Amino acid sequence: MSSDENKFTPYMRKDRLPHIFCPGCGNGTIMNAFLKGMEKAEMDFDNIAMVSGIGCSSRIPGYMNCDSLHTTHGRALSFATGLKTANKSLDVVVFTGDGDCASIGGNHLIHAARRNINLTVICINNNIYGMTGGQISPTSPKGSFGTTAPYGNQDTPFNLAELVAAAGATYSARWTTIQIENLVTSIKDGLKNPGFSFIEVVTQCPTYYGRKNKLRTPTAMVAIMKANTIFKSSADRMRERDLEGKIVVGEFAKKQKAEFTENIERISEEKFGNKTVINSAYETEL
Amino acid sequence: MIIIDEDLCKGCHLCLFMCYQNVYAISSEFNKKGVQLPYVNFGERCTNCGVCEVICPDQAITVDVNKNWWVGKEDNAFNPKFSNGRK
Repeated sequence: MSSDENKFTPYMRKDRLPHIFCPGCGNGTIMNAFLKGMEKAEMDFDNIAMVSGIGCSSRIPGYMNCDSLHTTHGRALSFATGLKTANKSLDVVVFTGDGDCASIGGNHLIHAARRNINLTVICINNNIYGMTGGQISPTSPKGSFGTTAPYGNQDTPFNLAELVAAAGATYSARWTTIQIENLVTSIKDGLKNPGFSFIEVVTQCPTYYGRKNKLRTPTAMVAIMKANTIFKSSADRMRERDLEGKIVVGEFAKKQKAEFTENIERISEEKFGNKTVINSAYETEL
Repeated sequence: MIIIDEDLCKGCHLCLFMCYQNVYAISSEFNKKGVQLPYVNFGERCTNCGVCEVICPDQAITVDVNKNWWVGKEDNAFNPKFSNGRK
């Protein structure tokens, strides 16, 4: 590899590039940040399996040169739970969007966090349903406009990172695409953490969210995002009404707990004397 | 030294926004895709921080690897465990 080649394209399917994301979409940045975090965590790229659901962000594993699973809408975490339970040596990474993760797969998300299964979930939150044409999603900020909210969204948005931290995940963080150093470090910590790691990345969507909210260019969206970002340490000292419409970034949970597949293996060895994976009718053939 | 791939760039100009040293500038001409490409205007200001490389959503920017501080290795093998797809 020559030095003038991009550092991230060796991990990608070069025949598929350039990808179909809109100009200025944050999904490409998160691809780069994930690869950088994976390099920093010194993980084996061949041992990583990527799972995704439906949406713009769920097209990311299609561009990566590794094993990937493109599943039904909202059920990416269910498929990933099955994959991890069947083969616990795999490093399973789930890429989901906000509609995929919070709306239709909301129950799967909180129950995967409650079980504390060893997955790394990167939730790409662009505040809108981008692929289907700009409908309001559960994470759209109050007062934002969309195709289904011509007079402004009146609902309070989901606070995904705090929801997952309350549900019992061992690592939960939220960053935006412009805080690259923090995002890369957070992905590295999430990959190394033995337990459910949830990283919410707030991205820009200039095509749908930006066009409806008078932020047409990617740089305008990014500038507004940068101006509205508050770190968690300073947000703890602020009143709740000052935090309306702001993006609070930081780590919301970092602890250690018993892990799901380890529990299954331990109880299987206690009761039956061997591991669950080969405790079947075909045991003699294995 | 910064290399910009003209075939991959889609013209979002996030590199201009993110570069804290204002290395980049927008060219006044459109290329055959209708994109106003960024170009390196003040290359001597570059500190090789590598932020533009990661922020570029289209993998179009490459900062010279051998001088890049966050790789930290002289040879290009940034991930020794990666087998380049050969299993």
